[in-house]
Amino acid sequence: MSYFVTVGVFTAITIIGVLGTFILTGLTGLFSLGQAAFMGLGAYVSALLVVTFHVPFPLAVVLAVLFALGVGYFIGYTTLKIRQDFFALATFGFGEAVRAVMNESVKWTGGAMGFAGVPQLTTPWLAAAALIAAVWLVRNVRYSKFGRDCLAIRTDELAAEVMGINAFDHKLKVFLLGAGLSAFAGALSAFFTTYVEPAMFGWTQSAVWIIMVFFGGRDSLTGAIFGATTLSALPEVLRFASQWRVAIYCLIILLIINFRPAGLFGRWELSFKGLSRRRPPGAGAGKGRRKAVAEKGGADADA
Amino acid sequence: MEGTSTFSFVVQQMVNGISLGAVYALIAVGFALVFNVLKFSNFSHGGVIGISAYVGFLGALHLHLPLLPTLLLGTLAGGVVASVVEFLAFRSIRKKRGQLVYFFVTSVTMLMLLEQVLVIFFGASFFTYPQLIRTTSFTVGGVSISILYILMMVCAAVAFAVLAWALRYTKVGIAIRAASNDLTTTNLMGVNVDFIVLATFFVSGLLAGLSGVLLGMAYTLYPQIGQLVVKGFIASVLGGLGSLTGAAMGALALGIVEVFLITVMGAGLSPAVIFVLMVVFLLVRPQGFAGVSFKEKA
Repeated sequence: MSYFVTVGVFTAITIIGVLGTFILTGLTGLFSLGQAAFMGLGAYVSALLVVTFHVPFPLAVVLAVLFALGVGYFIGYTTLKIRQDFFALATFGFGEAVRAVMNESVKWTGGAMGFAGVPQLTTPWLAAAALIAAVWLVRNVRYSKFGRDCLAIRTDELAAEVMGINAFDHKLKVFLLGAGLSAFAGALSAFFTTYVEPAMFGWTQSAVWIIMVFFGGRDSLTGAIFGATTLSALPEVLRFASQWRVAIYCLIILLIINFRPAGLFGRWELSFKGLSRRRPPGAGAGKGRRKAVAEKGGADADA
Repeated sequence: MEGTSTFSFVVQQMVNGISLGAVYALIAVGFALVFNVLKFSNFSHGGVIGISAYVGFLGALHLHLPLLPTLLLGTLAGGVVASVVEFLAFRSIRKKRGQLVYFFVTSVTMLMLLEQVLVIFFGASFFTYPQLIRTTSFTVGGVSISILYILMMVCAAVAFAVLAWALRYTKVGIAIRAASNDLTTTNLMGVNVDFIVLATFFVSGLLAGLSGVLLGMAYTLYPQIGQLVVKGFIASVLGGLGSLTGAAMGALALGIVEVFLITVMGAGLSPAVIFVLMVVFLLVRPQGFAGVSFKEKA
């Protein structure tokens, strides 16, 4: 597999994880420092099922996601009622607890040495399909009534509740969706790298996902995807100065937050309707439609 | 005989726990100071801890500083670094009245950046402080007490005494307390808020620096040592956000519980148990030990 394909698959997996954080942090305003732990659960459970119990790969992925959803339900139900800062702390504690269990259950997971020998079953095509499905799902959630309700909760929880939105119920669903996406990304990554270790799933990983969302703009799905792509590919591009690249990465993020706090993209979304709406008023309807179609074709070709 | 040995075991663990808790309290109070004024969880505090631990190490190694000057050097370095962080990273967000989330994201980024600075200059390897204390421990009634642990407790006690005095009687301290209550009104009363926020970061940095040097002496130095800031985070939430005393109490409790858990079940699984205890505690008493419930909105 060529170097670019490998980077591409890693980027696709990162985007799926970041999409979970986008819904959670960007849309609903919840800060979870334990998202990477769900990724770890997805990776470990699916890898264990396939390697130790010889479960078929697709079933193992489904079971791993279901397992993460179960754990997420328990964590979300107990911690989402408490205040935001506590939620960040509780998810942080959850993440570290999961890592501790992974490190300690040496018999099953190989402990800190990691769990090797996972077959490479995530093909580039599978990763691409998974990415498209995840983007489609998150986009639809964002534009549904549910998504707008979540935005209302982020903006003002009290006002949203007064308008009849059940904030706890929405937060729990969003948290589960995020957990599921992260676990799915984890399963894909385990079967791509063929190796998992607890150190991959610490709280800093969760923080990096949040940073990626804010880099692109938390109100823009395009921005979140762009942020994930750029910031996960950037360390690869900056490989010439490996020691400095994290520092440069941090500096770029600081500059963006200071000078463009809404993120690179603000509220802007890549949309075909938006492209066609930009033509000057007074253009003929039929001509406009042809032009829109042409522009759509152009955009597709660019993508 | 059996009874005395159990008793001395418990006393031994209590001493260890309280001294660990004392260092956690230094972290937690510094963390809570900034939280009280700007209402965000300042993870860059960890970066300051890391940098000052290394500065103290360099002073002790290359300038052959004895114990007290090393502590002072690290403490001052912490204050300076925290002020620089405030000036470079947080000031413009505050001027633009940015949302709290931007502070939060910036603080996590600063933690990563400061850690990376350490990696760039020192590599990812481990260092140990030179021997600054001659005798390492003494024994009282079957309980062996390390001098370092005594030092931790004394440092924390002195630091908190000075802090309490400063917050109560100095002009800047009173202004910091006023700013914790309401930043805008403090500004309207003619207080230079920019200076007060800088001062808050400086004081919080002093505490971070002191805890950094102590942590460096107690453990080995590595670039990620600043991530121990999460102990302060846990402690200040357990203690009740908005209360400095609560943060210190939470830190002591955390230190004692941690030491007992590590002796009983080993360092590996103790984070899992601490997590469960923490969630239960937050569910039972969400306002924390101190009971000062911090409100985001009226």
